[in-house]
Amino acid sequence: MISTIWTEKYRPSKFIEVIGQDDIVKRVESLTNSLNIPHLLFAGPAGTGKSTLALVVVKELFKDLWRENYLELNASDERGINIVREKVKNFARTKSLGEVPFKVIFLDEADALTPEAQQALRRTMENYSNTCRFILSCNYSSKIIDPIQSRCALFRFKLLEKRHIEKVIKKIIESEKLTISPEAMEMIYEGSEGDCRRCINLLQSTASISPSIGIELVSTIIASAKPKDIKIVLDYAISGDFQKSREKLLDVMLKESISGQDVIKAIQKEIWNLPVEPEIKVKLTEKTGEAEFRIVEGSDPFIQLQALLASFVMAGLGK
Amino acid sequence: MSWVEKYRPRKFVEIRGQNLAVEKVQNFIRNFKFGRKAIILYGPPGTGKTTIAHVTANESGAEIFELNASDLRDATKMQEVLRPALEQKSLVSKWKIILIDEVDGISALDRGGLSELLYLIEKAQYPIIITANDIWDKKFSPLRSKSELVQLKEIEYGMIKEILIDILRKERKFVDISILTNISLKARGDIRAAINDLQTIAYGDGKGEVQIEERNKEVDIFHALRSVFKENPKNEMMTLFDSVNMSLDEIMLWIEENIPAEYQKEELMKAYDALSRADVFKGRIYKQQYWRFLIYQNIFLSYAVSAAKREKKAGFTSYKKPTRILKMWMNNQKNAMKKTIAQKYSNLTHIGEKRAMRDFPIIKNIIRNPDTIKELRLNDEEVAYLEKEN
Repeated sequence: MISTIWTEKYRPSKFIEVIGQDDIVKRVESLTNSLNIPHLLFAGPAGTGKSTLALVVVKELFKDLWRENYLELNASDERGINIVREKVKNFARTKSLGEVPFKVIFLDEADALTPEAQQALRRTMENYSNTCRFILSCNYSSKIIDPIQSRCALFRFKLLEKRHIEKVIKKIIESEKLTISPEAMEMIYEGSEGDCRRCINLLQSTASISPSIGIELVSTIIASAKPKDIKIVLDYAISGDFQKSREKLLDVMLKESISGQDVIKAIQKEIWNLPVEPEIKVKLTEKTGEAEFRIVEGSDPFIQLQALLASFVMAGLGK
Repeated sequence: MSWVEKYRPRKFVEIRGQNLAVEKVQNFIRNFKFGRKAIILYGPPGTGKTTIAHVTANESGAEIFELNASDLRDATKMQEVLRPALEQKSLVSKWKIILIDEVDGISALDRGGLSELLYLIEKAQYPIIITANDIWDKKFSPLRSKSELVQLKEIEYGMIKEILIDILRKERKFVDISILTNISLKARGDIRAAINDLQTIAYGDGKGEVQIEERNKEVDIFHALRSVFKENPKNEMMTLFDSVNMSLDEIMLWIEENIPAEYQKEELMKAYDALSRADVFKGRIYKQQYWRFLIYQNIFLSYAVSAAKREKKAGFTSYKKPTRILKMWMNNQKNAMKKTIAQKYSNLTHIGEKRAMRDFPIIKNIIRNPDTIKELRLNDEEVAYLEKEN
């Protein structure tokens, strides 16, 4: 059955269909054809084809039996490394079906694991190296510990270029019998930030409202997905109403399920639009960086963000 | 209005539990022309030092000229403020009483301010009342020799309870007697603390239906919050939270919730900075399982939050229960449907559940398609949620 969700419907299932990562595709294809792949580490931004390529690999390796020989895990969703190990253990216990002598485990967002958890993962990888190959994906390979990196063949995925994204959009427009204005196409590209999945989602989301895709519709959809309320949070803080500011902050974070780091990202961008002196903008940026550092280090995002908002209250007073 | 202010004695007869001290002060005023120029009232917090000074002025028809720590930051300021007050006659009434509150809290005394104060005592034409928690520091010995000393003892537990009952009667509020006992005992002679605790509890539940266990716990945390937020930082604060029957994490939530109720602007920023540092150490404890960091978490949460203010705070603040956890829980309930939808969606599209939650504003339009609803096998509740989300 063909999926009604376009990211799936138009997901490449052959090497030749993968867009934008020519070198990587070539190398991975020849590894796959030899029927003996090493562990793979796919590093790169979201929506550049990491999961897709992993899927192509298993489909090519196992053909119709790929589902039986493939386990997909997401490190940021699993509760702890022990769950990951348990699932790997259960999956790896049985022999692979078909000619290929191993199964494939795809661990998405592996950089969400702490270094300690990665050590445990390394041991698991070793224990099952006879029966399983791992494909790990991450945004930054620097967040993967050296012992794992050294056991994997590393592939760096590049951000998709405009021409790649446009190619994808045009293909879908044609096949779904839609129309799109050049400006709307441009806007979808801008809004996707080189993330192909996001681009297709934007397209389908807009098309679900009207088959003729114009600039207005696209901008509404993009705006609905942005944490725009961060501006309101900062406005309250700058005007001195701390209580309202933090109430709104909690509200935004809970309702829109956005993480502390996403909020920080939005705040950092918003600083430049604030009506304060350049010197204060610099100071606020420093505070924002410090807050982000503390969150990354493992502090409570809401506490750190409140402390940051208190600095914005001072900025509102010109200090 | 805070009950502490509302029921502060205005006359000598209203002062309870300090008969000896009151008598001594009355004698001091009567014999002012012949005896010493200054009197030091010393004793623990909340025993009536400042009250006695004000009542003395009131009863002798004098105008009180109060100088607190912030007025006396430095010697020049003291000269500026205190000298004219001594030399000029009051416009309103004949008599003046100079009050120097909490002399042991004035750090400026170390920088030449003390000799200035001694000089003023010598030249004074009006009685000077000085209050202090502790006057036995060596540096105060010249001050002691020039002044009359009156010690105020901790107010006895039974007396505190009587005073609390009186207040409740006047306020027409009811609080269980066992709780009154508890408050009185916990106050350890500090009537101000006791009245504040009483007000908190009486306002918290006007009907008087109180669960003693819960209240006991809250008396503790309210007490601790009051010390941290209102009083000047003291070394004892670092162990303050040990006596609170709550985990440090829970106390952190209380502090977090109530900082803006007490602090503004710069103080607010400093207090949150202290809190955020406490939180950094908390994170390090979890990460490295190195429990000695607890001491830093504790200090930043108590002493550092307290030190964020310029000077101690007066008045009554009604502290709130932390609401964040409750809000998170309620939101999780509300988001439960969104979560199951995101889960089904993520299973089909090879992405993480968290990412699906983040992208929800976009993908909800896609999912709403009847064919996609079928493909994802969404149940009726989930479909209803999607429709409502529109």
